[in-house]
Amino acid sequence: MMKSRMMIANLALMCGLLVVGTGCSWFGEEEITDTPGVIDVPVTDSDTGKEITGERFEDKYKKVDGVTLSPVYFAFDSYALAPSEIAKIEQVAKHLLANSSHVLVVEGHCDARGSAEYNLALGENRAQSIRGHLVNLGVDAARMQTRSFGSEKPAMAGSGEDVWRLNRRGEFALYQK
Amino acid sequence: MFNQRKRFLVGLLVAGICAGGTESLLAQRSPLEISVVKEGAKKDSVSLAGLRAAGPNGQLFVQTLTRDLDLSGWFKVTASREGTINVVGGLLETGAGLQTSTKVTWPGKSFNWARNAASKAEVRQAAHALADEMVKQIKNEIGIASSRIVFINRRGSNNGDVYVCDADGGSMFQVTQDSAGVIGPQWGSNRNDILYTSLKPGYPTLLRQTIGGSRRPLANFKGLNTGGAISPDGRRIALILSYQGNAELYVLDLGTAKVTRMTTTPSGAESSPTWSPDGKSIAYVSDRDRAPHIYVVDVATRTSKRLTYKGSQNVNPSWSCKNKICYATLRNGIFQIAMMSPSGDGSSELVPGQPEGSEDPSWAPNGRHIICSAKNTLYILDSLGDPAVRLIQASGNWRSPDWSK
Repeated sequence: MMKSRMMIANLALMCGLLVVGTGCSWFGEEEITDTPGVIDVPVTDSDTGKEITGERFEDKYKKVDGVTLSPVYFAFDSYALAPSEIAKIEQVAKHLLANSSHVLVVEGHCDARGSAEYNLALGENRAQSIRGHLVNLGVDAARMQTRSFGSEKPAMAGSGEDVWRLNRRGEFALYQK
Repeated sequence: MFNQRKRFLVGLLVAGICAGGTESLLAQRSPLEISVVKEGAKKDSVSLAGLRAAGPNGQLFVQTLTRDLDLSGWFKVTASREGTINVVGGLLETGAGLQTSTKVTWPGKSFNWARNAASKAEVRQAAHALADEMVKQIKNEIGIASSRIVFINRRGSNNGDVYVCDADGGSMFQVTQDSAGVIGPQWGSNRNDILYTSLKPGYPTLLRQTIGGSRRPLANFKGLNTGGAISPDGRRIALILSYQGNAELYVLDLGTAKVTRMTTTPSGAESSPTWSPDGKSIAYVSDRDRAPHIYVVDVATRTSKRLTYKGSQNVNPSWSCKNKICYATLRNGIFQIAMMSPSGDGSSELVPGQPEGSEDPSWAPNGRHIICSAKNTLYILDSLGDPAVRLIQASGNWRSPDWSK
């Protein structure tokens, strides 16, 4: 796949504005390639002065099937790791340390209650909590990315605490480097 | 007797606000007195009896104008031949569509208004434009009839699409054909430009789409990419990214392609940014203090201040042109829409007349009405107290509305 770069699309003809977008994307076929004024420009972080780099594992590598890693569950509106869940994360660390060609995407989920936008943030927090613990267990941070689905992808449909507690979770997706 | 006096006093206050936004007066009243307002704003009667509408386009024009005037919050269309305001003139059906030539009169004043419309859609747009012109000329306020609302139909697990309709609920159409998770659509720099977060690629990506045109990812970095809110000058986008390892609020400058981090909250995540009308501040949600609350950051100094304390969760802020922030507050287990001053004085008031379980508020361009979701559909609330209006009658799971500015 292509390098992760951003491009600036000058849509001045349409709305008098600059539009920034990534050049490498699954939207490639939909893009109008002859938009006037389109130039490739990397997006930089103004504090570090560095270009934002790093491709998503989902776009770059093939998914690994057949390895079962148990979901990690969370309390309501919390991204703290409960003592009961630590052993599951240790299993994931063990797998990654034994399989150096595997990389991991930690996936965060929430129950259906509350703001969809906040739940997307909360799901990211949950994924980051797990990722942080894996780093503490000796897994190279560069081998792990996160993605949040917020409350969009419940493990179980319905409502009530018996359903919600199974939906407040972190899941693991392995990719082959 | 005491109650009546209080009502009258509040009525005067509301009239003052209608006349020109005397918000300092409002701020001096206690929340208790404000919550007494139930009648809504005073309405001027409008007669459309002098509009000669012979054919179907003319009738569509009158029907659209009638609803727009009622929804404006300032007028009440009367069936009688004389109102305080009278709209007279001809709506001529021609081979090319509708020719409108009208005169609007009210005590001591008038204006002429004419427009041609070649299609049913243009007939509706023409009626919207006249309604907005009447609000502007007669009430010196911003009309909402020509504005649009973008929202989601969430059909089920990881299955939704973006829709758009006019401010009267008409002319609704589907924008995306993804059948995938979609979060927080917002208007971009005009009424044809939408930002939203899609889960279609298998991770959250922030997209910018022209209605009827192409779309492009604005951000699809490692981690979270969401919350795109365009600044009032259209040059910057506030967004939530986690490429540095934790979800934080950033501002992307569209001219220089540089992002600047606004928050540093290693133990919290940010969401739902909304710009102040002067473009100097951004209100947003953060759970840095455990539960989600609303904060405001000064963009130049990057210093944040917490605004909400009441309620177990405060989410989805929207900042109006009249400098009020409305948001969803979770109190006693139920979401409700509240509004507050961005000054952080801690006072807030519930928006009157809202359905139970209202969420996801967004201000109308007039800074008076609010669109929100409740009971799987969308409602227009009136911060001045008119009853809530159900906007979408069609069945669906309608959510996350954003009102164009």
